[in-house]
Amino acid sequence: MNRNIVNEEKETEKGFSSIFITTFTTIFIAELGDKTQLATLMLSAESGKPFIVFISSSLALISSSLVGVLIGKWLSTKVSPSKFSLFTGLLMVLISFFLTYDILKPYI
Amino acid sequence: MILSLLLSTFLTIFIAELGDKTQLATLTISGTSNRPLAVFIGSSTALVIASLIGALAGGSISNFVPEIILKTMASVTFFIIGIRLVIKSFTSNEVDNRERDIK
Repeated sequence: MNRNIVNEEKETEKGFSSIFITTFTTIFIAELGDKTQLATLMLSAESGKPFIVFISSSLALISSSLVGVLIGKWLSTKVSPSKFSLFTGLLMVLISFFLTYDILKPYI
Repeated sequence: MILSLLLSTFLTIFIAELGDKTQLATLTISGTSNRPLAVFIGSSTALVIASLIGALAGGSISNFVPEIILKTMASVTFFIIGIRLVIKSFTSNEVDNRERDIK
């Protein structure tokens, strides 16, 4: 029984590349067509200087993802892992319901 | 002129992104994994590429792929991650309890 627990914990400890790929795909899919990407597109078209808009918006997005990582890491030291998973899991499901509502709104 | 464009773009995007779903996803993945650097590099790369697509004049991906498909993909991804986390929270709760019993 004890050995099973150790195995379970080893499985959840993933490598750098697997976490990188999971994060990359999730964030990339979430960001496509998102309001910040549309804002970048608008600012770029408005100013006629796409390179500067690209540099600046990249810096803003990197900073905001740093903030996200730090807050996540800090919260995980304050809350137990099971509670953290439960709350963030419910939050993700809630976001997916909002997105679905957004998709279906024109048809309702 | 360039500096003011830099600053206004930075502020617009940074404020728009605070509390946005991508930041919440980053926060979630960071808190549930033990490699914050991998999460930071992964999400930064994804965001930079997405903003490159956005900045290329008229080259938004939503011109080629209908918005409804992009939103459905995002919705399904968030749903799967959410359900997996909720399931994980119950199993890790069991592990917590068992560890307490052993002690």
